[in-house]
Amino acid sequence: MRDFLTTVLVTLVSTPALAQMGNPAGFAPDTRMEEPGVPAAHQTNNQDRLFAQLAAVGGLAEVDLAKLAATKATDSRVKEFAQAMVDDHSDANSRLKALADAAKIPLPDKLDADHKAMRQKLDAAEGQAFDVAYIRSQIIAHQKTAQLLAWEIGSGEDAQLQQYSAATLPAVMKHLRMAQDIASALTGQASREIVAAKHN
Amino acid sequence: MSPLKLMALACIMSASAASLAAYSDPLPPDLTYRPLPTQPLSSVRANDEAQKPKVMKRQQDLLNKRYDLADKPIPDASMSGGQKKVQDGVRVRLPDGVTWDTLASMSPTEIRDKNLLPEGFRPLPHVKQATGGQVFPQKAIDEIGKQENRDLKRFDVDFDLPDHLTPEFPPPIFLTTHPELGDVSRGELLTIKNFYEYMNGIITPVQMEGLRLLLTPFPQEEFNQTEDRKVAQQSMGVACLDCHANFHTNGAFHLTPDVRPQAARFRLDSTSLRGMFNQQIHGSKRSLRSIEDFTEFEQRTAYFNGDHVSATRKGVNLPDRPNQVAMMAQMQNIIDFSPAPKLDLMGKLDPAKASEQELAGERVFMGKGRCGECHLPQTSFLDNNMHDLKLERFYNIGYTANDQVAIADGPIKTFTLRGIKDSPPYLHDGRLLTLADTVEFFNLVLGVKLSQDERDSLVAYMLTL
Ligand code: HEC
Ligand code: HEC
Repeated sequence: MRDFLTTVLVTLVSTPALAQMGNPAGFAPDTRMEEPGVPAAHQTNNQDRLFAQLAAVGGLAEVDLAKLAATKATDSRVKEFAQAMVDDHSDANSRLKALADAAKIPLPDKLDADHKAMRQKLDAAEGQAFDVAYIRSQIIAHQKTAQLLAWEIGSGEDAQLQQYSAATLPAVMKHLRMAQDIASALTGQASREIVAAKHN
Repeated sequence: MSPLKLMALACIMSASAASLAAYSDPLPPDLTYRPLPTQPLSSVRANDEAQKPKVMKRQQDLLNKRYDLADKPIPDASMSGGQKKVQDGVRVRLPDGVTWDTLASMSPTEIRDKNLLPEGFRPLPHVKQATGGQVFPQKAIDEIGKQENRDLKRFDVDFDLPDHLTPEFPPPIFLTTHPELGDVSRGELLTIKNFYEYMNGIITPVQMEGLRLLLTPFPQEEFNQTEDRKVAQQSMGVACLDCHANFHTNGAFHLTPDVRPQAARFRLDSTSLRGMFNQQIHGSKRSLRSIEDFTEFEQRTAYFNGDHVSATRKGVNLPDRPNQVAMMAQMQNIIDFSPAPKLDLMGKLDPAKASEQELAGERVFMGKGRCGECHLPQTSFLDNNMHDLKLERFYNIGYTANDQVAIADGPIKTFTLRGIKDSPPYLHDGRLLTLADTVEFFNLVLGVKLSQDERDSLVAYMLTL
């Protein structure tokens, strides 16, 4: 019994891709293994590569829109949120870039059509309407990002990209909640928590 | 048996046979079954269009007589999507010479004998009772037209209530499977043209297929290719979510399938499909026991006509029970109520979060007002029962208003009050326009004699649900 426990502990600690136990059916066919079932570092499958593209373009757009909002927003909560997005996403974008470089995945450096359309919409909005439009766009963007990160955690092969996703997801959830709370304060839309504890 | 007795028996038998033949009821042939149209569509349409202004004016006059239809929102109360304000105040007009308090102090018989029950408390007629059928609000017509190029505009009638007295459009969508995401509608109306893109990754293949079916139009009573239709072009039909917009309601109305003759059918306001996973009986009168039953059946009778015969002429869609119906039901069963952050796990207000007035409202709801005896907080404000509120204690039935013959409502399913601020108008036929109206209504019906403060607090309380 004692021996068994020791073995389990040692295995857990010494496994390089700690906690990442991907389904081998989804590994790329040319995957080099560090040991059976454990891909060597920076081995990617199709999902990893698509994830890196989508996460990178989403990150670019986040910073682009947040810079716009940081100057254009009228509500102080929206401005603060936008500034937090500039900081957090710039940081996340550079970590993603380093991992993608290591895995030799080229990343996009321009907004895609989806985000361009969003940018145009926000360019056209002014005042309170801009604040609401921006914060609603942020709810949708963070909903999509949460799905994308969870998808990579479940389907990717590159342990470091997966760990990056797992590390980023809680922050994305927090941003989503912040955006929901601000939208709630701006428009009265329902949120799961009360923004101001008591109001009458 | 003796020959005499046998003869006597034979006589009795032939006499009774003769009397059966002679006395069979001379009833009209089209009381239960719908008659076939006798006119070509072109002339029906010309006549319908000629009548339309008068039809709409008559309905507007009735509404103005019964209600104050003005746009008077509660400044700090929004519906769950944050796009529309909740309307304030009692809108049902009182008859001359009484106040809500004097009315509440009278006995039902006295109110009936003096004909003092406000008309706004009585059954609300369809815009055109004789024809009936589904009528969509203009915003829904415009959006479906824009996205799908499908025409839901009728040539004989328009929607009758002003936009500010209907639910916000498009309403938000909350999923039981993803509470953390909040509203997943992206502020758009789900249609057959966009649902896959919006829901991909959030729902399962089974739910996605169910959603596809719920968004697919099929020929229905007023929207089909035959002379029965009330839309200019031959129509692709109607989809489930045309009325249950984003699984909530857009206020589209119809006539009940459950009553004949036509003149006595009552109006039906589309219900929200939020939180149906907790509901055991479905339909205001039919008491269907599962979402599957309801889903399968709606398709079979061309929506709310209780008429499988007429539906067959338009081409019925019979979704396959174990496959398609089950998937449509599974999709409907993951639609959550809107968030109610002041409620605790048992549906009671959290005193740390609620205001004094809201808490006072809850005490009235659970106590003197007796609301909680049918709307049980811990079971989503439902009791999974039907109740006969016996409103006919207060008025003489049998009169006709805009061609609708008023009969007693009879037992109606208890509706949930979760998210209730999101789904005006209220009651099965939409006869009450605001929450304040519902409080006056139940104050009278239950005879609980609430003070003005108690009534105001009930409204404040219901806004938190
Ligand atoms: C014309 C608008 C309209 C369309 C189209 C429509 N419904 Fe409904 N739906 C209603 C109304 C009105 C009710 C309330 C019925 C009643 O009270 O008997 C209702 C009730 C329901 C209920 C029961 C809800 C409850 O709380 O008891 C379900 C389930 C439902 N609809 C599903 C569907 C499905 C599935 C379809 C498509 C096959 C559909 N509906 C199409 C208007 C519509
Ligand atoms: C005897 C059971 C019963 C009691 C007690 C009761 N209700 Fe109801 N409630 C119902 C039924 C049944 C309906 C549906 C009636 C109809 O549609 O004709 C309903 C409908 C409603 C609606 C409209 C729901 C909708 O979706 O349109 C509101 C609001 C409401 N009740 C509030 C109250 C309040 C407030 C009280 C207490 C003052 C109360 N009810 C007491 C049974 C009850």
